[in-house]
Amino acid sequence: MTRKKFPNLFRYLALIPLLLLGGCSSEHFWLFNPKGPIAATELYYMILDVAVMLIVVVPTILLTIWVIYRYRASSGKGAYAPKWSHSNVLEVVVWGVPIVIVAILAYYSFIGTHQVNPWNPTVITQHSKYAKEQPLEIDVITTDWQWLFVYPKQNVAVSNELVVPVNRLVHFRLTSASVTNNFFIPQLVGQVYVMPGMRSKQSMVAAHTGEYHGLSAALSGGGFSWMNFKVKAVTEQSFKSWVGIAQQSASKLSYAEFKKFARPTVNVGNKVQLFTNIQPGLLVQVIQNVRDGKLRYKTPMFLTENMLSDEFKKHAN
Amino acid sequence: MLVDLQGPWSPIFGRLGLLLDVHYNNPVIFFAFQLVVVGGAIALFWLTCANRWGWLWREWLTTVDHKKIGVMYVLVGLVMLFRGFFDALMIRTQQAIAVGPDSPGVLGAAHGYLPPYHFDQVFTAHGMIMILLAVTPMLVGLMNIVVPIQIGARDMAYPYLNALGLWLTAVAAALVMIALFVGDFSHAGWVGLTPLTELPYSPGVGVDYYIWSIQIGSIGTTLGAVNLIATIIKMRAPGMTWGRLPIFSWTTLASNIIALTSFPVLGVALALLTFDRYIGTHFFTADLGGNLMMYTNLFWIWGHPEVYFVVLPAFGFLSEIIPVFSEKPIFGYVTMVLASMAIGLVSWTVWLHHFFTMGASPGVNSYFSIATMLVGIPTGVKVFNWAFTMYRGRLRFPTPMLWAMGSLFLLITGGTTGMMLSVPAINYLVHNSVFVIAHFHNMFLLIAYATFGAVTFWWPKVFGFKLDEKLGKLFFWFFTAGTLFVFIPMYTLGFMGMTRRLDYVSHTSWQPLLLLELFGIALYSLSVVFFLAQLAVSIRDREKNRVTGPDAWGTSRSLEWATHCPPPFYNFAVTPVVHDRDEWAWRREHGLISLVPDRYLDVHMPKNTAVPLLIGALSLFFGFAMIWRIWWLAGVSLLAIIVVIIIRSFDKDTDYIIPAADIERMEAEILNRGAADETSDAPIGGGAGGALASPRKRDGD
Amino acid sequence: MSSHSVENVDPSNVRLWDYDDHGHDFIGTRSIGFWLYMMSDAMIFAGLFAAHGVYVHNFAGGFTAKEVIHPLNALWPTLFILTSVLIYGFGMVALKKGSRSGVINALLLSFILGVGFLFMEWREFSELAAMGAVPQVSGFLSDFWVIVLTHAAHVFFGLLWMAVMIVQIARNGFSQNNVYRLLNLKIFWHFQAVIWVCVFTFVYLMGGI
Repeated sequence: MTRKKFPNLFRYLALIPLLLLGGCSSEHFWLFNPKGPIAATELYYMILDVAVMLIVVVPTILLTIWVIYRYRASSGKGAYAPKWSHSNVLEVVVWGVPIVIVAILAYYSFIGTHQVNPWNPTVITQHSKYAKEQPLEIDVITTDWQWLFVYPKQNVAVSNELVVPVNRLVHFRLTSASVTNNFFIPQLVGQVYVMPGMRSKQSMVAAHTGEYHGLSAALSGGGFSWMNFKVKAVTEQSFKSWVGIAQQSASKLSYAEFKKFARPTVNVGNKVQLFTNIQPGLLVQVIQNVRDGKLRYKTPMFLTENMLSDEFKKHAN
Repeated sequence: MLVDLQGPWSPIFGRLGLLLDVHYNNPVIFFAFQLVVVGGAIALFWLTCANRWGWLWREWLTTVDHKKIGVMYVLVGLVMLFRGFFDALMIRTQQAIAVGPDSPGVLGAAHGYLPPYHFDQVFTAHGMIMILLAVTPMLVGLMNIVVPIQIGARDMAYPYLNALGLWLTAVAAALVMIALFVGDFSHAGWVGLTPLTELPYSPGVGVDYYIWSIQIGSIGTTLGAVNLIATIIKMRAPGMTWGRLPIFSWTTLASNIIALTSFPVLGVALALLTFDRYIGTHFFTADLGGNLMMYTNLFWIWGHPEVYFVVLPAFGFLSEIIPVFSEKPIFGYVTMVLASMAIGLVSWTVWLHHFFTMGASPGVNSYFSIATMLVGIPTGVKVFNWAFTMYRGRLRFPTPMLWAMGSLFLLITGGTTGMMLSVPAINYLVHNSVFVIAHFHNMFLLIAYATFGAVTFWWPKVFGFKLDEKLGKLFFWFFTAGTLFVFIPMYTLGFMGMTRRLDYVSHTSWQPLLLLELFGIALYSLSVVFFLAQLAVSIRDREKNRVTGPDAWGTSRSLEWATHCPPPFYNFAVTPVVHDRDEWAWRREHGLISLVPDRYLDVHMPKNTAVPLLIGALSLFFGFAMIWRIWWLAGVSLLAIIVVIIIRSFDKDTDYIIPAADIERMEAEILNRGAADETSDAPIGGGAGGALASPRKRDGD
Repeated sequence: MSSHSVENVDPSNVRLWDYDDHGHDFIGTRSIGFWLYMMSDAMIFAGLFAAHGVYVHNFAGGFTAKEVIHPLNALWPTLFILTSVLIYGFGMVALKKGSRSGVINALLLSFILGVGFLFMEWREFSELAAMGAVPQVSGFLSDFWVIVLTHAAHVFFGLLWMAVMIVQIARNGFSQNNVYRLLNLKIFWHFQAVIWVCVFTFVYLMGGI
């Protein structure tokens, strides 16, 4: 009986961590599951940095615990030296160890910063595999509170969803039609600010087909939490057919249409819309008009002060 | 009106008409309102019933005594700490509920119980309150209480200015509390993200509350910094050379040099934002020549030194607590001083690491990355020095030491994650994720731990009795359990890719860990109960826990222990002469612990004044009027402040002399009170320090 | 380690308490605080000048620096404010000699010159407003107005202080309070002149030429 009881009990106990960590299986650790060279490099430096830090952190923690244990007044075995407060050797150690660690990390930080530099990530651009093809150009425009991805060469655009071919260098140019956002695809590429009236850049390669999650990582007001987009990394073939479908779309994206799209909208439904006939130079035009004060949406008072579900729904897409 | 305001405005009432137009009411706010009303009513009732109004006015509101001002600073900090904690509770609850598109919504919210804009206000208020109105006042308060006694002064260099600083800080806190019920608070993050804080995107009065409360409060902090620096430079007792200045006073000096030079930059950033919102200038707008990243730069040029402004005093606390309970001098005094000053210096060169993801060139990012890492050197040195202070010591672990140990371990983990964040390649992944949140809460908790330790440590010095040890330890352990359960899941969520400031969580896979955080915050809530119980029980049993003699812990070291507990308002009957770095330890070793001087001298003390309180009240009117754009009231209040300052400058009757005979009489009273203990040979202290009654002889060398 | 080496003290012959405590140096304490305040005020201008570096060319298609800034316009105010500082300096000489009327006369003259400075600034800025070069037009004009008027605010409060000091000296003479305030006002008045020199150099000369 007892033998049977224990496994039963065990099973129930095992449920507790399962309940808590059920969602935490490794695939959900996006940062530990990079699907492109940039995210992979960033993870590499994370592991390196932690490893180097642990060289000094672990002994320090152990030393501290040992000191606490050995020199406790109640029953510690350590000899009490009431005046001891200086040692030249130890002074050299306490300054030397952090200096060495910082020097090592500073070196790697310098290298790493260049490898994943959003303007020219050498980990991709100096890689023979990705250099042979023309990079895919994508213009990213954020609004309150949606994403618009424009493919100027393909003359198509898509909202709230990013489709990229695998193993091809993608160049992004980013700007915002409202406030600052932050372009982030945890499994593919780190964050970069998307600022109104300015253009930032980012580059990435998706190495594996699949569906990933993109987010805005900078607070931008009431609809911020819904400002997500799916990232579909597909084969070159599927990408071409997707572009074909998009080019058949009935929705045009002239500047006037864009201004309609850019009105404050909460992306509750993750509404994906395909556009074709894109206004040439839309990104530059948006930047220029924002700078001239011609493109600016005041957030209406009721959308900020009193954003209850009714008003909220009215502005959902 | 120079700018395009949404909503009504009238010359007499300004924008107050908004209160009728917009429904700010919400059951959650109504509940908070009831709490504050009931709390206030109880306080007023007690004051009236116990006939304490006169006492309150004479002893507290008009005082210029640095110890009382310090106590009031800590009190303001504690009240705001509770407010900030409630905000944290609301944030954690919302994020645990509002997960996934199917999650329920109540109280008018689509998901959870807080509509987005309200949630944004809650976390903005949480951040701003915790940093500027909870931690800062508590630290400034403790510096106020301890530093003058520790350097052997009778008061601060400018007692009147000290009171003014307090009341301006209190006004900042009052404005934030008013924002809860009259109108709303900023929704743009505690950093005030531009251009979100600009008028078109934040049309309400929330950002104005944020601007004016910080602006008024930071004037108070700057005045406090002037005062503390001047006090340390000019008011040290004879013999207190720079080489003998206690580490806490050194860190106070370093930290206030930072405050003095950095807060004006914040003032500039906020003033320019004010001009944008009130006059329509183009500093931080995206259009017409504005530069929104300029705000971010200015803000963090203040913001990062501010981090060290709050962390250095915490390092000072550790440097005072650890030697006392190790019964040894601090290891590497000179190194500690150099490290503090180095941290102060380097703090100015690292601000850009708060926005590595702006898209700056790798050269710029590498520079700021390496500068940031340099901070790790002096900080690492400090950790080692504390460890070596305990090495070959005789360690006791009463509550202050427990908090210090907790703080030390938090510093080690926070330092490790800080070194991760300083590498841009890593930062790109975790910037604006909850990993960053976990990191800086880790660092702020280090400060909180050190502060709780310091409050327990100096409590007997200030009030003359000790805090209850048993409840204090429960407080510590539950607080620590809360820390682990909230922040380990939070670090983990960072690795899962969760970003910060989400009022609705779209990925259900994050929910288990969010629930774990909710459990953690429940543990925190329990610890708060223990803390309140500790205060209540200790005050009830104050006669039992009373400390006799100057040295509450029996092994105290610095000069603040060379006077009575609590010290009389003049601190020292006669100014002490300092002979050693650890003056009190030196006197104890040489059997010189008597507090009775050969003769007494006249003492020169400042008089109480109501002027700082009056200026504070007028500043409150001024701030409120500016927020609601009631121009006439703002003008009248500002004019009144100027007139009050001018009138006060004609007042010649600001100080007085206490005759030596009166000092002698007061000293005799204090000494007689503890006469029973003076006659016995029992060690000074008692209570938890009773472990000393039979010190084991273990002198190894 | 010297401070730890005080060994072998004779407990009967050690001085634990300072019996010749004559209080601290009052005026020195007051002026160090004021120097510290000046440091924080200097940081305000450091922030504003950093901003100036950012906004100096952000004309946004509106007025350019050359259309708005005329260094010669600022020449007379410069002469006024520097003379005012010089005369305040003469006042300090009179203070050393203990001449009450000398101090009051110098302060009065210094005050009048300061008012003249503010009057000229007021005229310059009302002309700008009349031609439409208001701070709402561009980042550059926002910055120009704010940096110059922040200095003007310093002058205004300095003058207010000076007026109060004239009354106080007339009433109370050279009391300890009045002396330290005169010395602090001297620091402040020099400080605002130094700031004006920077404004003149970086904003007017470099902007207008």
